[in-house]
Amino acid sequence: MGNTRRPDDVNRKWEDRMQRRWNTAGAIIAGFAMLATACTSGTGGGGGGTSKGEIIVASDQPTSGGDASDGLPAQNGIQFAVESAGSIKGFKLTFKGWDDTVNGNHDPQKGAQNIQEMIADSKILGMVGPNNSNVARAMIPIANRASFTMISAANTNECLTQTFAYCEADTGTTPAKLRPNGVNNYFRVAAADTFQGPAMADYAYDTLKFTKVAIWSDNETFGKGVADKFSTEFTKKGGTIVVRQDFDTKTTNDWKPFLTDAKNKGAQAVYAGATSGTKICIPRAQMKGILDGPYMVPDGGVNAQCIKDAADNAANLYGTVAAADANQNPDAKATIDAFTKRFPKKEDVGSYTFPALDCANILIEAIGRAIDANGGNMPSREQVRAAVAATKNFKGTTGTYTFDANGDPTSPTMAIFQTKGSPLDWLFVKQFGVGG
Amino acid sequence: MVGSLKQARIAFVEAPIGRLVNLLVILAVLYVIFILAMKVVGQGPSYFLQILTFGVANGAIYALVALGYTMVYGIIELINFAHGDLFTLGGFISVFLLPIFGLDASKAGTAGIILPLLAVFIVTMLICGAINVSIERVAYRPLRRAPRLAPLITAVGMSFVLEGVMFLWKGPFNVPYPNLLPTTGFVIGGATIGVKDIFVIVVAGILMVVLALFVSRSRLGKAMRATAQDQDATELMGIDINRTIAATFFIGAVLAGAGGTIFGLYYNTMVFDLGFSAGLFAFTAAVFGGIGNIQGAALGGLLIGLITALWDGYMESTWTQVIIFAILILVLVFRPTGLLGMRVPEK
Repeated sequence: MGNTRRPDDVNRKWEDRMQRRWNTAGAIIAGFAMLATACTSGTGGGGGGTSKGEIIVASDQPTSGGDASDGLPAQNGIQFAVESAGSIKGFKLTFKGWDDTVNGNHDPQKGAQNIQEMIADSKILGMVGPNNSNVARAMIPIANRASFTMISAANTNECLTQTFAYCEADTGTTPAKLRPNGVNNYFRVAAADTFQGPAMADYAYDTLKFTKVAIWSDNETFGKGVADKFSTEFTKKGGTIVVRQDFDTKTTNDWKPFLTDAKNKGAQAVYAGATSGTKICIPRAQMKGILDGPYMVPDGGVNAQCIKDAADNAANLYGTVAAADANQNPDAKATIDAFTKRFPKKEDVGSYTFPALDCANILIEAIGRAIDANGGNMPSREQVRAAVAATKNFKGTTGTYTFDANGDPTSPTMAIFQTKGSPLDWLFVKQFGVGG
Repeated sequence: MVGSLKQARIAFVEAPIGRLVNLLVILAVLYVIFILAMKVVGQGPSYFLQILTFGVANGAIYALVALGYTMVYGIIELINFAHGDLFTLGGFISVFLLPIFGLDASKAGTAGIILPLLAVFIVTMLICGAINVSIERVAYRPLRRAPRLAPLITAVGMSFVLEGVMFLWKGPFNVPYPNLLPTTGFVIGGATIGVKDIFVIVVAGILMVVLALFVSRSRLGKAMRATAQDQDATELMGIDINRTIAATFFIGAVLAGAGGTIFGLYYNTMVFDLGFSAGLFAFTAAVFGGIGNIQGAALGGLLIGLITALWDGYMESTWTQVIIFAILILVLVFRPTGLLGMRVPEK
């Protein structure tokens, strides 16, 4: 590849070549742009209306990123509920799903953009979601100004609905600030994090009989919050936290120094405050050969990805889920069977599939009452919001739901799961009512 | 008049404050070293040895990646942002090759893995090298005489392209990497030094020694050093600089490919955007040691691995990144060309 270059030519040639390159580059970019628009042109829509018209139930979940192992199963639940209902009081019901993932991770700004798109479509009377509390924080104020109803199955951050002294400092906002028009439009069926960390702490101390535990968190709102609350409750009971570390999981690959430290200080188990997107179960694989004993996770780790990440050390994991297990409810069997027929794959169902299905059904039922209140006509979003707020003793697959003034369930449930069996899977251990 | 007044004020106000700041920095550094030393003594020697082992193994991987940055910078003064992603790509390619060479978890820890694993290493390294040479041909060579910022931006672009390709290939999830190496270890002074740790350190060490010998002894190595000093004079001597630069990219990528494979074998997990953080630290390591300096990159990588492990093991890991970059700033204040200094080409 001998390159004989004549210096006097160089500049002109350079310009010529650059011109050609710009043309090529332009063509490539145009091609990409076309490809991108072709890919994103949405699902949704649906055929002509049944008699009175069409009502759309929307959802927002992380369905493509690192949290898709939680987001897709939840979206399946919502879609199933809408498809099963088919229509409500003469209106055709349609499902339309949004994805809040950017670059493989859930993204609050994408969530905000999604809810604006939903609000712009007058057929959409409410939505189910999102999955992540920080996404909810970006969406609620926008939805609130439009009296647009949101019901989440999996948001657990307590500051979304309840006012605590630390909310402003920890999350930069308060429930009042999130609701600029002063009327609550956000509801959830999940138990708040004020219960989740302590529930595992109680289980570790009372049932598993541990007195020394090491804790790490991903230093995010959810992970750090749930780890702090575990720590407080466990210490209150009389246990000791032998090591506590917060990691930047984007740049951390090696948990072995932390685990070795924990072992040397006598830790009997490790509690992780993180999610699948923040490598929650990667340290579990590294525990092998360093520290024997269980690994405890919040709901962000109770999924198939965690078992994969824990590799050959996936047994003996314990996890909390901030909602009841539908399988424990005999009345839910028919629904579960029908769901499994529609979504047969193992990874189609997750711990928040049926809570999300219940959220969708609460919304649909409330839309029905709002139609009645409006004399059988298309109700306003405010009428739907008021109907959801008035929901009383709604019998779902995961429990009976009534919302309090904050939008929280009046009798939330916490469930504990453990990895067992061959092949390993998350199996139900027990569940109990919290608060209320 | 005004100028001299200003100067006088600067001399009056800033000098004492500057000295005060220097003093505070020195005190803070001494305080941190003191606390760390107390904890090291408090937790005993075997724990210290254990943490050092983790640190050296981790640092060896950073060093391999840092070498690629430093070689490319040394020869054409380009920060090849895509290099970290090439490292990840090495891991992805090797995890794809493992079953082809008959390697799976059932053979873990047996002597039968040695030859196939060697083959996986070589093929991965060659593929990575070929990819990097193509990247150089397409994205950097056409811009070699363009303003300095242009190839820098195409490097960022290539980084996104590689990440995008890996995202489409394996998805957003952590990709499990089979645990092939023996999980046993030797107990020395109360610390367990795993076969895995030894493997990482030995393989990385061999590659680095071979590289150092290659650059200092071989004809091509000599051509590289010449090209780094003066491209035009080198060309006049009849050396094909395009070929020499392509060879530099090839060797850098070979090391990155090996690094990715070692990372996979060591941590048993890969993810498509791993290259961003790995690349950031490897680049930092290269600057630490003196960018353009091969021994410096190896030293810088080792130091970053050690600092990370020590800080994670003894102090609050929230601050690990802060400490690494604080030390980097301190080093650069006192030695602007890095620990070992860059051999600055005369131009």
